[in-house]
Amino acid sequence: MNNMSPEVALHRISPELRPLLCNVVRNGRVGLDSTNCLRVTDLKTGCTSLTLGPCCDRFKLHIPYAGETLKWDIIFNARYPELPPDFIFGDDAEFLPEPSELPHLVQWDAGKSECLLQLVKELLQQYHQYQCQRLRESSRLLFEYDSLLEDSSYHHNMEVYAGRKNSWTGEFSARFLLKLPVDFSNIPVYLLKDTALDPGEDVALLSVSFEDAEATQVFPKLYLSPSIEHALGGSSALHIPAFPSGGCLIDYVPQVCQLLTNKVQYVIQGYHKRREYIAAFLSHFGMGVVEYDAEGFTKLTLMIMWKDFCFLVHVDLPLYFPRDQPTLTFQSVYHFTNSGQLYSQVQKSYPYSPRWDGNEMAKRAKAYFKTFIPQFQEGAFANGKL
Amino acid sequence: MAASISGYTFSSVCYHSANSNSDHEGFLLGDVRQEETVSISDTQISTAELLQIVEIHNHDPCAQLFSFYDYAGKVSEENLNSILKDRRKKVIGWYRFRRNTQQQMSFREQIIHKQLTQLLGVPDLVFLLFSFISTANSSTHALEYVLFRPNRRYNQRITLSIPNLGNTSQQEYKISSVPNTSLNYAKVVKEHGAEFFDKDGVMKDIRTIFQVYSALQDKVQAVCVEVEQSERVKEKFQEDVNKLKQQIALRKRKTAEEKRLREVQNADSRSTPEENTEPPEASLLSRITFHAPSAPERPSTSPNPPSYTDLLSQDDSLLSSSSPPTSAALLPRPQAVGSPGHPTPGPLGMGLAMGLGLSLGTSPNPVTTPSTPYLGNGDGSSSDSLDRQAAGQEDDDDDEDDEDDDEEDEDSSEYENLVSETTHLQMVSASVLVPGRPAALSPDGDARGSQTT
Repeated sequence: MNNMSPEVALHRISPELRPLLCNVVRNGRVGLDSTNCLRVTDLKTGCTSLTLGPCCDRFKLHIPYAGETLKWDIIFNARYPELPPDFIFGDDAEFLPEPSELPHLVQWDAGKSECLLQLVKELLQQYHQYQCQRLRESSRLLFEYDSLLEDSSYHHNMEVYAGRKNSWTGEFSARFLLKLPVDFSNIPVYLLKDTALDPGEDVALLSVSFEDAEATQVFPKLYLSPSIEHALGGSSALHIPAFPSGGCLIDYVPQVCQLLTNKVQYVIQGYHKRREYIAAFLSHFGMGVVEYDAEGFTKLTLMIMWKDFCFLVHVDLPLYFPRDQPTLTFQSVYHFTNSGQLYSQVQKSYPYSPRWDGNEMAKRAKAYFKTFIPQFQEGAFANGKL
Repeated sequence: MAASISGYTFSSVCYHSANSNSDHEGFLLGDVRQEETVSISDTQISTAELLQIVEIHNHDPCAQLFSFYDYAGKVSEENLNSILKDRRKKVIGWYRFRRNTQQQMSFREQIIHKQLTQLLGVPDLVFLLFSFISTANSSTHALEYVLFRPNRRYNQRITLSIPNLGNTSQQEYKISSVPNTSLNYAKVVKEHGAEFFDKDGVMKDIRTIFQVYSALQDKVQAVCVEVEQSERVKEKFQEDVNKLKQQIALRKRKTAEEKRLREVQNADSRSTPEENTEPPEASLLSRITFHAPSAPERPSTSPNPPSYTDLLSQDDSLLSSSSPPTSAALLPRPQAVGSPGHPTPGPLGMGLAMGLGLSLGTSPNPVTTPSTPYLGNGDGSSSDSLDRQAAGQEDDDDDEDDEDDDEEDEDSSEYENLVSETTHLQMVSASVLVPGRPAALSPDGDARGSQTT
């Protein structure tokens, strides 16, 4: 019943209602958090138990909203599939949307498969307004909301969940979920390709939880879509600053935005820099290039001959190049170590400066090779065996 | 606020709902009344409690969904009127049935309810929600119902009581105050009522039954009087019977005494050393016989069985008869005094009070005996047997002397029996000899002493 796969749900629902549910399950991305799609559970029927299936016509829809999951009951009648559904809004017993503001309910058309999904989106909008209304119970939080509302970048990209008042302590809590206006479009495609699932929209969401009405306990959290997270170097790479006590969202959120933007820029720059580096090496070493990463420009392998001594140089470019220095690995083509590997030496510190351009780096690298090779050769002959 | 619905209305709603293949809805008709309860207690003067009671008399199912509202949930007054017609005034709520859903008002239901409250002008309009939950394998189905009053902010759920639906072993069958509003019913009752009700409105049957009851009571009273009289007559008869019994016993004792004296004289003439043991017994026995009359001071009307000693004395006469003591001689016969030597043991296997004489010898003249050979039943049966045997005894007296020898041989066997049981006799006699000694309680509370077997 729970964690039902969409296909199972579609199989059990009454055939006349299937198109509506199909649309919801397959295309159903509502709200800011579009990485989580809508889920359907608890399929039941309103027909007598003697009716042969599939005849399910009522179910629970799980909708992600402001970090919470809303569980709404949707009730159809399989015998009258042309009729619009009824809703039970779970624990939000006081939420009563205005029917006139639900055009897809007033002009319900069971023939249009997207009708249900559109209706759910309209209900969600009404729900958002209802939650914002509830913020009135705390003037501080209402202020936060209003200030964000004025900023056009956040106005339409905000979900608010005003939590239930704790009946014992009388505390009121709220959560703001904001979609950060950060441009991810310039992130090189290769960085976004590695995720197994459909990455969906690239989005960064900032969730700020106010555990009390006076904003003394505030917990921010950044959510990145998987591809962005990967592109920026994993979840550990990005740390957002703590919410300053006495601060407010209208100041804090832009801070986080800037941080994120900087990071993205850095990543983009790094990519370009790496490309430049590789290009310079290609032009300097020409035929000596064995192979290189033509997508991410993270690796380069050269084969160099010096006084009849051949060797390989592997260059590994880190993510935060040029800030971080590339690693050079020298490898002999003749000598093996005891473990059967080709004899190699890694060099991490050599003359380098992040301010050099690609050309300069290639020239300097060449010069370094010349000084280092005799040393390497000796080492190879001494420690390796043919 | 309390609410009640009659059993038949409830079952009718359930029937309609369960038979529909989709959600189902309708209106509830009835009355709302206010009950004021004034309670007076010692601690306070009086408290008045106002309770609003909603009574659901009837229901009006809707033929289909969306029959009086549109997709947006807007109620059409026109459609409402066409459904309800003149029953509109009686509407106190509405109901909805939906399978496998939560017991919570839905979005559309709330919207409709608000509008109905306004249109019908019922401020406390109620909403009855039925939900039918079935288990996955259809083995168990539960019909749940909740009555809401959504127009209140708090305490929105009201208990709905159905009279006589519940554990009737602890409650009486209640007559509900919900009236039967059927016109047909009222007509029929009016037409045929006179056959059942008299002018006071009391059912005729009740009066008839009461008359029967009174008649029965009178009869019972009369019978009581008769019973009393017959009891008194019986009491008197019993007295007479007891007196007669005493007389008979006395006479018998006298004859027995005479006979014994004669025998003693005979025995003395042929006395042996072994007889030395006997005289004490004889004297004992004679003492028994002597004291027997005085010992039991029975009231004439008491139905107590005669004492053991009485029976012993009675048996003396029995044993002297030639007729074998097949019936009456269930008691040991003490008369085997003076028998020559040790008696040959006879096939005696019975106890003291059990057909002792039945195994003794043959019976040339069997005497028909009553089936209950116990003497001293107190109901006269024993006296019957005694009478008969007494009669037989008198007849056979002439034959006794001739058959003495024979009898003595027989008696010798009896004597052995008696020897073995003399200890018992002694115990009995000891108790008789000292009539004045009160029963002494043994440590464990049993009364010992003057007891008769």
